[in-house]
Amino acid sequence: MKLSDREQDGVVILEPKGKIMGGPDASLLHEKLHECIELDKKRIVIDLSGVDWMNSTGLGILISSYTTLRNNGGMLKLANVTDKIQSLLTITKLVTVFEAYDSVDDAIASFE
Amino acid sequence: MGKPAISGNSITVPSDLKYLVDVDNFVEGLLREWGLDESTVADIAISVSELVNNAVEHGNDPPAGGDGERLVKVTVGRLANTVKVSVSDRGHGFDPTEIDDPLADENLLKAAGRGIFIVRNLMDEVDIKTTPDGTVVTITKNL
Repeated sequence: MKLSDREQDGVVILEPKGKIMGGPDASLLHEKLHECIELDKKRIVIDLSGVDWMNSTGLGILISSYTTLRNNGGMLKLANVTDKIQSLLTITKLVTVFEAYDSVDDAIASFE
Repeated sequence: MGKPAISGNSITVPSDLKYLVDVDNFVEGLLREWGLDESTVADIAISVSELVNNAVEHGNDPPAGGDGERLVKVTVGRLANTVKVSVSDRGHGFDPTEIDDPLADENLLKAAGRGIFIVRNLMDEVDIKTTPDGTVVTITKNL
């Protein structure tokens, strides 16, 4: 997995690419999310358009980040969720937890 | 053994999550050689990654049968209408009935505990066997 990030309208957009399956790659995303929280950047969108698939480790990173942000007055939102990840969110009922948007722009606008 | 070893349709790796990528490349490579569609490849790859994660995190500490090297072996097989993958470790196994229901409201926001649940949803069969030599989980995907 590779990870890039940018900022738009006060929202941090994280753009992982590849697969989120555990091991060193997953640590990268986990650490980046917590770095944002420590820097008081609490409005975060994860653009999943470049993620082929993720497993329960990836879902766990999203959940722990979601709860940490929410407990600190922030919010994590998802954009461009692929069919495979949408399917995982559905079978795990996490679709009821995350706000997901069809585009990064829509996700950013939802913070307004 | 300090690095992945491939023999036919099997790959054996040291019990370390840094080798997940090697296992995934090997498994997905075989599945694509066999002409499986991308959705099926992803379902199997996700499931294998869950089982290898479990084997590394829980299955090899301490190893069954003494102080031998901690390894995880993954074997992929293709039959006419199914793909079978076995993931073996040297651990003492686990009781799948003791895993909390990840869909229960009190567990929904837990960061862990969904691996086997996801595998059961993506695969058609999941068989877990524990012997004195370790644990073998075999998954079957109908094509």
